[in-house]
Amino acid sequence: MTEKVEYWVKIPFGPIHPGLEEPEKFILTLDGERIINVDVKLGYNLRGIQWIGLRRNYVQIMYLAERMCGICSFSHNHTYTRAVEEAAGIEVPERAEYIRVIVGELERIHSHLLNLGVLAHDIGYDTVLHLTWLAREKVMDTLEAVSGNRVNYSMVTIGGVRRDIDEKRKRIILDAMKYYREVLPQMEDFFLQDPTIEARFRDVAVISRRVAVEQGAVGPTGRGSGLKDDARWSERLGVYPDLGIKPVMPQDVTGERPHGDVFDRAAVRIGEIKQSIELIEHALDQMPDGKIKVFAKDNILVAKLRNLVDGEGIGRYEAPRGELVHYVRGKKGSDKPLRWKPREPTFPNLFAVAKGVIGDQLADFVVAVASIDPCLSCTDRVAVMEDRGRKRVLTERDLIKASIKKTREINPDIRGDPTPVGLGCSR
Amino acid sequence: MNVMSEFVYPVAGLIGLYAFVSFASLLWEGIDRKLVARMQRRVGPPLIQPFYDFLKMASKETIIPNTANFMFRASPVLALATAIALLAYTPMGFSPILAKKGDVIVFIYLLALISFFKIVGAISSGSPYAKIGAAREATLMVSREPAMMLALFTIMWRLGKLGISKPFSMGVFYVHNIWQIGTPMSMVGAVILLYVFIVWLASEIEAGYFNIPDAEEEIAEGLLVEYSGRYLALLKLTKSLKTYISASLVVAIFFPWGIAGYFGLAGLSADVVNLLFHTLKVFILLFAVMSVFRASTGRLQITKAVNFLWKNVFVAALVGSLLIAMEVIA
Repeated sequence: MTEKVEYWVKIPFGPIHPGLEEPEKFILTLDGERIINVDVKLGYNLRGIQWIGLRRNYVQIMYLAERMCGICSFSHNHTYTRAVEEAAGIEVPERAEYIRVIVGELERIHSHLLNLGVLAHDIGYDTVLHLTWLAREKVMDTLEAVSGNRVNYSMVTIGGVRRDIDEKRKRIILDAMKYYREVLPQMEDFFLQDPTIEARFRDVAVISRRVAVEQGAVGPTGRGSGLKDDARWSERLGVYPDLGIKPVMPQDVTGERPHGDVFDRAAVRIGEIKQSIELIEHALDQMPDGKIKVFAKDNILVAKLRNLVDGEGIGRYEAPRGELVHYVRGKKGSDKPLRWKPREPTFPNLFAVAKGVIGDQLADFVVAVASIDPCLSCTDRVAVMEDRGRKRVLTERDLIKASIKKTREINPDIRGDPTPVGLGCSR
Repeated sequence: MNVMSEFVYPVAGLIGLYAFVSFASLLWEGIDRKLVARMQRRVGPPLIQPFYDFLKMASKETIIPNTANFMFRASPVLALATAIALLAYTPMGFSPILAKKGDVIVFIYLLALISFFKIVGAISSGSPYAKIGAAREATLMVSREPAMMLALFTIMWRLGKLGISKPFSMGVFYVHNIWQIGTPMSMVGAVILLYVFIVWLASEIEAGYFNIPDAEEEIAEGLLVEYSGRYLALLKLTKSLKTYISASLVVAIFFPWGIAGYFGLAGLSADVVNLLFHTLKVFILLFAVMSVFRASTGRLQITKAVNFLWKNVFVAALVGSLLIAMEVIA
């Protein structure tokens, strides 16, 4: 330890803080304004959704999955549906896949616009916040016109989609896309040319390629650091390859090599909005006629799934925040899954950015956290209820301790150092 | 020694000014909020929203943290008292009430004292966010004042050379103004100093780039984080007064012309007309420096702001001062 230690202070950042959208806690070690260390503490937004899910049948879980998070509600629903479809071996009609693409990309536009506005708000640039969110209203209205809801669209069902996109809805979507083609150059002006934005976003919270690989960063966070990965592209998901999907890298938008900073992440989001507009227009163009779902009614679906699901299925989808994975395991004869586990993109990204922000200033911290678009209501997973109603949240360290204990039980002769490495929760 | 002219009139004038400036500065806050809202394509609050806010906050319960000491309670009162005292030295369309030889130093001193009391109050609250905010405020204050002081003293000194009875007084601007020096170089210097004062004003009222000590998203409003109720109301009023006073200084230096002369008024009525015209000029200046600046920029990191204030603004102040003082020195 050097002598400098005595000037270091630890301050709590959250769980309730005006700069954070959701309850999450960081313990920052500061040397003046400089961040020395970040300690991430999760578990303030646990609702036990998995626990509830294991007591519902496959169709009921769709509603639950949708309500995990307000912003990526379609992504969760869609990914869960894909997992069940894989486990049950259901073939989805092509028209349904196209409609899924359209709604998914509309959701991506709305999520990215929301995040860009939050980024601007976090540097005190409220004008950009208000203008971005004004632009976001249009896509919300479009989603309402298409699906009937502004937030939880309930568009997807196992084996297809619930609602068709007819001529009237198609026109509404095309109108919205025309509007965004007009608005997007302004957005690019705000986020790529403005000197304030450049001063605050460039070289802030740099996640190097190495850190991104180590921490498993996904989505715009990973792509901003130069990882060419997009679940829609690398998995050849659904009809995405037909639409010519390609991962948007920062060099496509800014023309420079990836820096891995907040600016690049924002640039990737701008590029993805542009890409989404193109995808939606192509999809509306190429959409074939035909059925939109395999099973006409939900009660038939429940009855069929009881026999169809046997074994496990994994659904993968590129949510606006990064790659989302749902795992479902079921047994023949039961209408409930034995295991249902979502894995959210925020979890690896949060630790990547916690490493990236070290050495920057306190002022950059809020922007850095917002730049990965954290979704904590998706992320908080593990908690244990003990007998007397006392709640205990299991964190990384507890889980490692439990694993070590179990390993010792199974094989007492095991060698090796069991202390956790890296950025752990010191709880 | 006349009691009336030495004591009663100044005090009555000060009370009148305090009432007027409180009203005008809170009204400006309402106008500013409305204008910025329109620029952001929002509807915005009603014009008298700051008055509602003030009354509401004044009537709310005041929560004092356990860790706070007595300075936490004393400093909002002291800050407001300092701002009121400052009104007696502020040029507002006419020579200040207590204009004396060399009162520019009192002016700068009292202006810094407001920030000082805010810092002391924040440190006394015991909140880590408030301490970070206090550190930022102190850093920013140290960086912004030298450029302003250098420019102000140079202007005062140069105007003093034109021949006046009370040199280094705030009343100087209503005898001679900076544009009267006349040489082409001094005109250029005056424009450069106008830039210096505008940046200083923006950093003094913490708008746009310089909204660093009170950053809401970063450190939960920094200096004000633990304040509530009455004390918050006092601090908000102090901030409004300070905004008006700082803008008054810039208006007095660069745009001191009154209109009372055109109407052939004299005495008290001339002062009232000039005060109203001065308020209008303050609003126009604040529209450019506060509303537009606030709507078109975000805040900087503290290091970048300090760099900007020293490397850009202080150098500009140096160049402008040299240009103004040149032909007297040479």
